[in-house]
Amino acid sequence: MDQDTLVKSLHPLEVKVLLTFGPGVPLTAGVLGEKLGYKVGQANQAFSWLCGKGLARETGRTSKTVYEITELGREQVAGGTPEENLLKALDNGPVAMADAAQLLGLEQKDMGSAYGQLAKEGLVAMDETKRIVKKAAQSPRLKTLRVLLQKAAEADLDESFLTDDEKAILSANAKKRGAAASVFKVSERETVVYELTPEAGSAVAIIRAQGVTGDELGALTPALLTSGAWKTGVFRPYNVAAPPSRLVIGRRNPYQEYILGVKDKLVSLGFEEFDGPLVETEFWNGDALFMPQFHSARDIHDVYYVKNPTHAKEIEQPWLDRIAAAHTNGGDTGSRGWGYNFDRDFTRRLILRSQGTVLSAKQLPHAKIPGKYFGVVRCFRYDQVDATHGADFYQTEGIVLGSDVNLRTLLGLLKMFAIEVAGATEVKYVPGYFPFTEPSVEVHIKHPVLGWFEMGGSGIFRPEVTKSLGVDVPVLAWGLGIDRMALMSLGLSDIRELFTANIENVRLRRRS
Amino acid sequence: MPKIEVKQAGLERYSTLKPSVDELTEMLPAVKGEVDEVNRETGVLKLEFNDTNRPDLWSTAGAGRALRSYYTGWLPTYEFFSRPARSLPDDGRRVTVDPSLAEVRPYLAAFALRGPAMDAVTLDDLIQTQEKLCWNFGRKRKSIAMGVYRSQSIHYPVRYQAVDPKTTRFQPLGLEKTLSLSEILKEHPKGVEYGSIVAGLPMFPFLTDSGGEVLSFPPIINSAHLGAVQVGDQELFVEMTGTDLPSLTLAVSIVACDLADAGYTILPVTVEYPYDTPFGKTVTFPYYFQEEVKAELGFINKLLGINLVGEEAQNALAKMGVTSRYGNGMLTVIPPVYRNDFLHPVDVAEDVAVGRGLASFEPERPSDATIGRLTDAELFGRRVRDLMIGMGFQEMIFNYLGSRHDFIERMNISGDDVVQILNPMTENYEYVRNSIAPNLLEAEGVSGNALYPHHIFEVGKVVRLEPSHREGSVTTNSLGWLSAAPDEGFNQINSRVAALLYYLGKDYKVKESSDPRFIPGRAAEVWIERKAQPEFAGVFGEVHPAVLENWNAGIPCTLGELNLDVLAR
Repeated sequence: MDQDTLVKSLHPLEVKVLLTFGPGVPLTAGVLGEKLGYKVGQANQAFSWLCGKGLARETGRTSKTVYEITELGREQVAGGTPEENLLKALDNGPVAMADAAQLLGLEQKDMGSAYGQLAKEGLVAMDETKRIVKKAAQSPRLKTLRVLLQKAAEADLDESFLTDDEKAILSANAKKRGAAASVFKVSERETVVYELTPEAGSAVAIIRAQGVTGDELGALTPALLTSGAWKTGVFRPYNVAAPPSRLVIGRRNPYQEYILGVKDKLVSLGFEEFDGPLVETEFWNGDALFMPQFHSARDIHDVYYVKNPTHAKEIEQPWLDRIAAAHTNGGDTGSRGWGYNFDRDFTRRLILRSQGTVLSAKQLPHAKIPGKYFGVVRCFRYDQVDATHGADFYQTEGIVLGSDVNLRTLLGLLKMFAIEVAGATEVKYVPGYFPFTEPSVEVHIKHPVLGWFEMGGSGIFRPEVTKSLGVDVPVLAWGLGIDRMALMSLGLSDIRELFTANIENVRLRRRS
Repeated sequence: MPKIEVKQAGLERYSTLKPSVDELTEMLPAVKGEVDEVNRETGVLKLEFNDTNRPDLWSTAGAGRALRSYYTGWLPTYEFFSRPARSLPDDGRRVTVDPSLAEVRPYLAAFALRGPAMDAVTLDDLIQTQEKLCWNFGRKRKSIAMGVYRSQSIHYPVRYQAVDPKTTRFQPLGLEKTLSLSEILKEHPKGVEYGSIVAGLPMFPFLTDSGGEVLSFPPIINSAHLGAVQVGDQELFVEMTGTDLPSLTLAVSIVACDLADAGYTILPVTVEYPYDTPFGKTVTFPYYFQEEVKAELGFINKLLGINLVGEEAQNALAKMGVTSRYGNGMLTVIPPVYRNDFLHPVDVAEDVAVGRGLASFEPERPSDATIGRLTDAELFGRRVRDLMIGMGFQEMIFNYLGSRHDFIERMNISGDDVVQILNPMTENYEYVRNSIAPNLLEAEGVSGNALYPHHIFEVGKVVRLEPSHREGSVTTNSLGWLSAAPDEGFNQINSRVAALLYYLGKDYKVKESSDPRFIPGRAAEVWIERKAQPEFAGVFGEVHPAVLENWNAGIPCTLGELNLDVLAR
């Protein structure tokens, strides 16, 4: 630290010490208290800071014994000692031992020791009816004890300034190991002696040159404003380069922030949001999407089944009949269907939603034409949980309905997402396969930083899906892998981190 | 998504092309495939095919054939197919079917072949085809199981029967002793793996030749004698049994075409059924059953957003191995013998699009003007989030699945309304949360090292069983929050609830709650004032030390949860 910065960093407590004392003078907290009016805490703070800056150093330590008043002692300063209180009570005439204890709120044994002390000094005695009688009003011991209590209440008593009598009384009333509550506590105190270093001299020169007195204004207080005292004072400059302390603030989860950004972007592109329940039926999760009931992806090991209840009470009509017909023989969709007997019991089976496309299908009967819809929804897959598979995760899906949409507008839509949502510079389309779309297209994009990766899947809904659900225009269906993009944006590589319960990890996480 | 292993040399032979791995990576998307792994030392490639309706691609021969069509314009023809109008001569290769199979495993399709001595590569390929077809297309042998036999020892007619599983015995492939069919289900590895397909049946399927020599116990295991195919064999008998004749017939066609491409002569086999089948009582296989599909060119052009003439569409289809006719605006597609995936004219449109190449389509931005909008629940959730953040809370996002231990036992609740999964992968993810509280407490439990105070919340979904509801449960949007600090208590959370509901514009009153998750006398129910009667919206209070102890939380916590669907009303 250069001298100038060093001087700037000085607190008024330090400045006054530097201006008041020369180098080599023995300094203690007591000395600072006497000359500058510092409290012990302030003095120690000043020494600590000055030593830290090399402007003062410790030269030695002395030790002394002091007596401190205890909580009980403080109570007795105001409320009297048991002995004083007993004497006072006897002013109204003799009292039996047990009654006295009750009267003074003392335990029997404390009562006993108070009586014993006073009796030894001849201040009290027991009469023939076993009542305590007052014989004299005061003893030197009681008088001294009272004085000591009152002194100790103001400041600790330094043993070296005490008389032998006082010491005897104090030690009789001081806390000893294992003893009952006492009015004094003995402790060893160390006094540290400091002196200012030669370096302090040059600091003083700068301080004087700058006209700093240590009386500069610190914190701007309401009192300063009210009194107007700030007008005649000078504000002490702070060290603005001092490291700040940590502040924990309320904030969004950065993953949520990412999702909100995607949602807002899709809304800006004219998409309306949809949502739905986490528990679904096989009907909406698979049948309505024209996945044959014997499809390998509908195995018990691909979807989570609800244990109880196992089946929905019913499936909405006319959609059930129409979808069943599409599976069996195509119904009125122009398809020949899968050619099997549709199982109307299986279709009611309750499961946890395994794909966001469910909600696209459910939207169809209510969709506007033209219309654009999307959802960012939680899905559940029967997968071993690892860095790329969560027990549950978000899927981003949607549809575009319009009499003029076609494969080229599907590609145009994907390109728009690639640029607007994913920030891609190049887009590549390859044929894909999904049971519910034909044609199907996978889109791969080149991100300026992350390189090529698969952004999502899409296609034109099969007429077996759309016509069965009452829609006569082509419907583009798409899904985006945004969790992967979110991971990249947050500099993470494990999908489980997005859902972590670790508060500190979430607090520290930020978007790149 | 089926994955197959192919030798690069085999793929070159069948495709007549010599692509490098990089070139192959560029070429495979045309058949919805991709290179998954490359072993440069052995020359073995692992390819993944995405279209589950194209089982013809799941072999070296099939993948090679598709690439050859697409990149050289070759249109394969196969002359060994019988058709509804004309059965080819079977030279006495016949299979008779026992009537009782109608209720057991009704269909069988078969063919024989003769040709060069079988080499290891072709045999491995055949076994892989068998596995992929029966596993992915045949639903793990449920609807298709395949057997291959040394046919020079077979005495026709072969008999497909249903037999008593306890008294019928033979020596299965892979074991040194004879066992009854019931014993095979318990003792043979294949019996253990696939036994469930037949276990409930009174009689089991069984295949012998006319001399009583055992071929196999379909769909489980071949016999050790006729069913032990080896390198060097020149004559084979291939059969498939199952529950759906069209898919069985298609699978037989695929294997026959693969072997024909490998240089074998395919020999028809006639199956005589005592009952009706979709193709009649007597069917000679391989059998072409696919029907022509008509698609209007105008429909295809509109769906693809282009304007092709008939010949252009036909050329595109030819690249996909598809023969077609065109006239009067109508394309008529004659499906290849090894394909049956034309369900609707859109399937023709896709083949046209892929045949043309997606790169030839100019992307066009959808032009319909529509109004974007978030759901009301999302908008309300955002208001709530902003208020929680304003009160100094960190937003969390938790998983919705968890264990009985976390969601029920540690919360000291009965769990009566928690949705349970029938087939959990592990007990760690066996329940769907009915509250955000366990997630919040878990976070507190694992975050004792994070600087205090802790203020966390989540706006998310919870599910509760609700027997009266059509789907048996209800999903609700919920706000859950937790504060942990040495001096945290009811007064603080009480003030937060008041602030939150003030800014959400909700009048409410509280009642003492007996929720066991909280300290008695320090938890409140929130009731929203309504015209008719107050509506319950949630609870908040000081978390019971017994619950804190369950989560290893050592700092006092308050917790609250409010039903946002109620608040938003």
